[in-house]
Amino acid sequence: MAIQFTDSSVRFGQKTALHPLSLTLAERRIGIIGLNGSGKTTFARLINGLVKPTEGRVTVNGLDTVADDRAVLGEAGFIFQNPQHQLIMPIVREDIAFGLKNRGLTNAEIAAKTNAVLARFSVSHLAGRRVHELSGGETQLVAIASVVVTGPKILILDEPTNQLDLKNRRLVAATIDGLEQQVLVISHDLGLVDGFERVLLFHEGQLIADGQADDTIRRYHEVAGC
Amino acid sequence: MLRSLYIEGNTPFHRLPVRVKLITLMTASIALFFVSSLQILVPTFVTTLCLYLALGLPWREAFGRIGWIAFAIAIVALATWYFNGLHEALALTFRLMALVLLAAAITATTTISAFMDEITVMLQPLERLGLMRAADVSLALGLVLRFVPEILDRYENIREAHRARGLPIRPLTLFVPLIILTLKDADTIAMAIDARGFRRQ
Ligand SMILES: Nc1ncnc2c1ncn2[C@@H]1O[C@H](COP(=O)(O)OP(=O)(O)OP(=O)(O)O)[C@@H](O)[C@H]1O
Ligand SMILES: [Mg+2]
Repeated sequence: MAIQFTDSSVRFGQKTALHPLSLTLAERRIGIIGLNGSGKTTFARLINGLVKPTEGRVTVNGLDTVADDRAVLGEAGFIFQNPQHQLIMPIVREDIAFGLKNRGLTNAEIAAKTNAVLARFSVSHLAGRRVHELSGGETQLVAIASVVVTGPKILILDEPTNQLDLKNRRLVAATIDGLEQQVLVISHDLGLVDGFERVLLFHEGQLIADGQADDTIRRYHEVAGC
Repeated sequence: MLRSLYIEGNTPFHRLPVRVKLITLMTASIALFFVSSLQILVPTFVTTLCLYLALGLPWREAFGRIGWIAFAIAIVALATWYFNGLHEALALTFRLMALVLLAAAITATTTISAFMDEITVMLQPLERLGLMRAADVSLALGLVLRFVPEILDRYENIREAHRARGLPIRPLTLFVPLIILTLKDADTIAMAIDARGFRRQ
């Protein structure tokens, strides 16, 4: 069971956002780093099928992101770079419940799951709050809860500690640490991915380093020139 | 400003099915229209007032919510008194106030998602005729309530940016960035709706 890229590449019009790459991701904790515009988000979106490969293919636990796109969405949850964009209902509790709709659950089951996931991430006190008024840290935790509640086996977080203060960074890092899923984290916060089993470095749409966290981070400093 | 008027609570009225509440409101609106006896209208008004006040809203908020409508009703009542006499004016006041209080009580005890579910059910016949997808309509309603405040915020931000840079505020320089930013977000939001598995089977 793993994420598999086979000669996968992505072009937007003339622009190559991701050059062809082949690799298998099976580690529990994977970091993705690189400069702005280097292709990190594009790479991550390939995994749950939000972006389709222009060439090649991507499979997730044996499911093809093109042919089995709906199943793949259930398999891999995605927390967006700006998590406010993925909270689509006005009230926190309703937003968590939103992800559970159209799944044949009764309202009581939806309410029970919603309460359980809010409690798990210590945000029960936010249940009745308006999404629009959440702080950055609260938004991030609610977004994680809203995705985890649907039971994906893989979680992809796009810059989860971006714009958070020191305290919330620690909190989100600890929350990520506690997730039982396979987790991929895109981050400019190198401390966050430092302890991960495997870290990938993208540069101008190419995967240029892949391995131990400290080796990849050293390489990142080289290409960034600082 | 558009915001959720729902109040947390667990009163019997909270637990009443949305459909029952909506049908009650509809029936009451039609029935009270035919009644002009104060012996019926006053007790109805008192009942709805008690119902509304029993929801646990703080006094300020409770009166704030219906203040403007009560004010409008008062003006209409004064005009009615002048033209049609006191009895008519009182009947109109108690009738309309009873309906306003009932509607306010329903709004305060029903979550947006409960409304959405109900709308989805009510639109099922149209869906069966192939005219629309009921779930999409209720999703659209939720999205409006969720993102209108966001867009208003952004409007404020752009205005402040103008002021900070000493630029005159013109519709073109105000609305073009607003629309572009909103469309960019709309793309991501659409993607998020997919990512969270709302697409129909
Ligand atoms: N939908 C799109 N249409 C056109 N070009 C795109 C699209 N999405 C991404 N790109 C381009 O592809 C390249 C890679 O973008 P991507 O978002 O993957 O970068 P990133 O590494 O996530 O950057 P950041 O750190 O700034 O988030 C960029 O040059 C970007 O402009
Ligand atoms: Mg990105």
